[in-house]
Formats: sequence, structure tokens, C-alpha cells
Amino acid sequence: MPRPLPVIDDVSLAEMYDDPYPIYARLRQEAPVAWLAPANIALITRFDDMIAIERDDETFPANDPRSLQIRSMGHSLMRRDGAEHASERAVLVKSFSPPMVKSHWSPLFREIADELVGDIAPRGQGDLFTDFAAPMAARALAQIIGIPETDWRDLLWWSQALIDATGNYADLPEPWERCARASEGIDAAIDHHAALWAKAPNPSALSAMVAAGWPIERIRADIKVIIGGGLNEPRDSIGTVLLGLLSDAAQLEAVKADPALGRKAFEEAVRWVAPIGMYPRRVARETVLSDTVLPAGTAIGLSAASACRDESHFGESAGRFDMNRPKAQHLAFGSGPHFCLGTWMARSMVGDIAVPALLDALPELRLDPQNPPRMGGWVFRGPLSLPAIWSPK
Amino acid sequence: MTKLTVITPAGESRAVEADPSTSLMEAIRDAGIDGIVAECGGTAACATCHVFVDEAAQAALEPADEHEEGMLEFAAVEATAASRLSCQVRVADLPEGAVVTLPDTQL
Ligand code: FES
Repeated sequence: MPRPLPVIDDVSLAEMYDDPYPIYARLRQEAPVAWLAPANIALITRFDDMIAIERDDETFPANDPRSLQIRSMGHSLMRRDGAEHASERAVLVKSFSPPMVKSHWSPLFREIADELVGDIAPRGQGDLFTDFAAPMAARALAQIIGIPETDWRDLLWWSQALIDATGNYADLPEPWERCARASEGIDAAIDHHAALWAKAPNPSALSAMVAAGWPIERIRADIKVIIGGGLNEPRDSIGTVLLGLLSDAAQLEAVKADPALGRKAFEEAVRWVAPIGMYPRRVARETVLSDTVLPAGTAIGLSAASACRDESHFGESAGRFDMNRPKAQHLAFGSGPHFCLGTWMARSMVGDIAVPALLDALPELRLDPQNPPRMGGWVFRGPLSLPAIWSPK
Repeated sequence: MTKLTVITPAGESRAVEADPSTSLMEAIRDAGIDGIVAECGGTAACATCHVFVDEAAQAALEPADEHEEGMLEFAAVEATAASRLSCQVRVADLPEGAVVTLPDTQL
């Protein structure tokens, strides 16, 4: 007999923010499908359950009328299913495809990385998260989206405002207000640039949307979801790869000696600490998963962070950053029809370009022994600060 | 049903009765054969469903479109003239008895 959904009420969201991994390890063992009372969702923590969910969007649709994401950003493709989702995504595929990344975007990423590295090299110390990872990701994103005249610092706070509203389960007024202000700024940037690309198309996402003749509401929602989802992930993964490498001399030396290993280090870093730790789905009809009943209507959270450390797939060393572990599928990019559109963009930006460029340019780069790095988050997770020192040049 | 032969990465030959209404990727995966990862669930976004099809199948199938060709360049094992993304091939379009070979790795 499948069991009813167990309730987990002895963990706090503050604990999860701090370090969710011990909690996930316990849930995978004891209650892989469980009602996480403080977050009001059923959390799915095993790899195989996540794969099963992503294969069945009729039982587990991405669309949910209660979605805070829809409320904060509008109804984007991330919350659509089936043929409707597929045709919307098809418009964007070319901008994000690996051949386009290679021919068009990588040279641009390289320019941005070189400029940033040149800026910080003489300083001898700094926070690699705020001084390098954040501007790298934000400046690249402004180009990819197709709003290049936007200041990257605006993009940074817009993204945070959208994310905070999406996670505003407590329904506080302040995040909604900030989100409304960010939306105004974003809509203005869209209007300005959309008029330019209508006359002179380019490979950006906005240009593709304009060429497809999308209604403005759809353009706004999809651009917002790309801003919300396209900034933190490359930024946090740059920080996480650097943290992993700077904490392990052998792996660091290997990537310095062979920059092509940057991509391997990137892939392992997102497995180790998945930047999108958790994302939602809904249960459309009663079903059983890991011997647990999920009633129709249940809001579920897929813990990519937990699945990426599932011992049954990654062994007992799952908690370690080890780019030499045997290659295996991980779930940091999700799976199924919503598989991360930015996957190839991130592999190039972070793995091929940003991390190797930084390691190459800053001799004797190391973590600041006086100032340990900080990590945080469970819905999104990554470094909060990454203080480092190097020989100025 | 369409009869296919799938050569696994280990070199074993497996007979598959494939449902013509599915993609080749789904047919191989649903037959319980390892060697297809299909991270993107068939949306031509991951290149982890790479296969090599025999000459009869190459002659029968429409050639890969520009997007599929572009993705194949990024497959883990180098693509050849026989390469396809199995998620973009419909079983219904394959000739009876086609032989499909899986690459050594998809990652
Ligand atoms: S399943 Fe991803 S490209 Fe075929």
C-alpha cells in the first residue's frame, strides 16, 4: 500500500538557506516525496523521480494558475506545456543553439571576460563574485536578450527583484512593489530595442521574438523569465567553479595547464551545487511516486540540488567537487521539454571562456585566508561572496 | 510495429519492435536499451540521443534539417554522414529491418 504524503515540519527555511544538503540526504533516505511544511510544497528529492516527472507533463504540468512567477513576470513559456510550449520555444532555439553560441556569442563573451580581467588584475585582491562573476553574467545577458544599451547594474537588480517576487510566498508588499518598478524598466528597454530590431534583425532573443510577430505581452513575459533565469545561473556557476577549483590544488593546476578542462570543471560545478536548486510543478491527477501518494492539485518542488547529489547515481562521494568523476547525466539543467535553453550558452561562457580567462590572467590566484567565502540559498544557490587575492599586474 | 536492430555501445545486437507512432529515441529508450540519454526529452536541444543509421535508413529518411545538423556537431562522439538525432527521426519513416548503432557515449 502506498503511504500518504509524510509531513516534514522540523526543518526551517533559514536552515535550508544555510545548507540544505544534510536535509536532502535525510529526505532521500526517509521521505523522498514529502510535504515540506515551511515552504508549502511537496519536495521531490530523488534523481529517478525527477526524471519520471519530467517525462510526463500531463500528470505533472509546469502551468499552475497559483504560480507566483506568472503573477510577477506574466505567463511565460516556462509555465506552459505540450504543443503550446514547444512552438513558443522553437522561436528562441536558434539564438541559443550551439552553432550560434560558437560563431556569434563566444567572441562577445571573450571580449567581456578580457575587459573585466584587465580591470581587476592590477588590484591584487577583490571579491570574485561581485567584481567578476556578476558583471560577466549581466553584461553577456544584456547582449543575448537583445537590450545592449541597458546598464548591466540595472539588469542585476531587475533580475533580483523578479526572483524575490517569484519567491514571495509570504505575500509581503515590498517585493511586489520592487518587482513593479523593475517591470517598468524592463518594458521600456524592450520597447526601445524592439523598434531597432524590427528594422535591423540580429541573433538576440528579442529580435527573434519581434521577427516572429509575438504580441507584446508574450514578449514581456518571456524576456522577464530569461532575465530572472539567465543571470543568477551563469553568475553563480562562475562563482561555484572558482570555489571548487580554488579549494583543490590538483584540479586547479589541471585546468590552468589545459584550459579546455574548464568545461569539465563547469559541468561538475553545476552538479555539485546546482544554481537552480528547486523548481515547481503541479500534480494534475492523483499519482504514486516512490511509494507515496500525491493527491491531485498538490504543488510540488523538484529538488535539482538533491537529485544532483543522489548517492544512487553519484556514489558516496556525491558531496565532493571532483571533475574527474565518471561522466554521468546530472539534472542541473533539468530534463525533458523544459531542459535549460541556456545550457550551451553557459558551457561556453563559464566553462570555455570566463573561468579559464581569469585563471590565466591572475597569477597565484587563491582564496583570501582571512575572509572565507560564503554560500547561501536553496531555491537558488551559489556563492554570496568569494574574496580572493592574487599578485597584482 | 516496425522491426529494427539496435547495436548497443557494448556491441550487442538487440531486436526491437518499435511503435511507428513514436520517435526512434523513444523506441530505443522504451525498449530498455542503455546508450540513449535524451536529456531534453526529444526537443533537439541536447545532442544526447545521437545514433548512426544504416544506408537503407539514410536513403529512406528526409535529410536532417539545419538545426539538427548544427546540434550533431556538438555530440559527444563525432558525427558522420550516418549520424542523426534519434529524437528527430520518426519510426514510421524508417524501413523495416533498419540497423541503428549507438555511439560509445552521449556525454
Ligand atoms: S533528446 Fe535531446 S536532442 Fe534528442
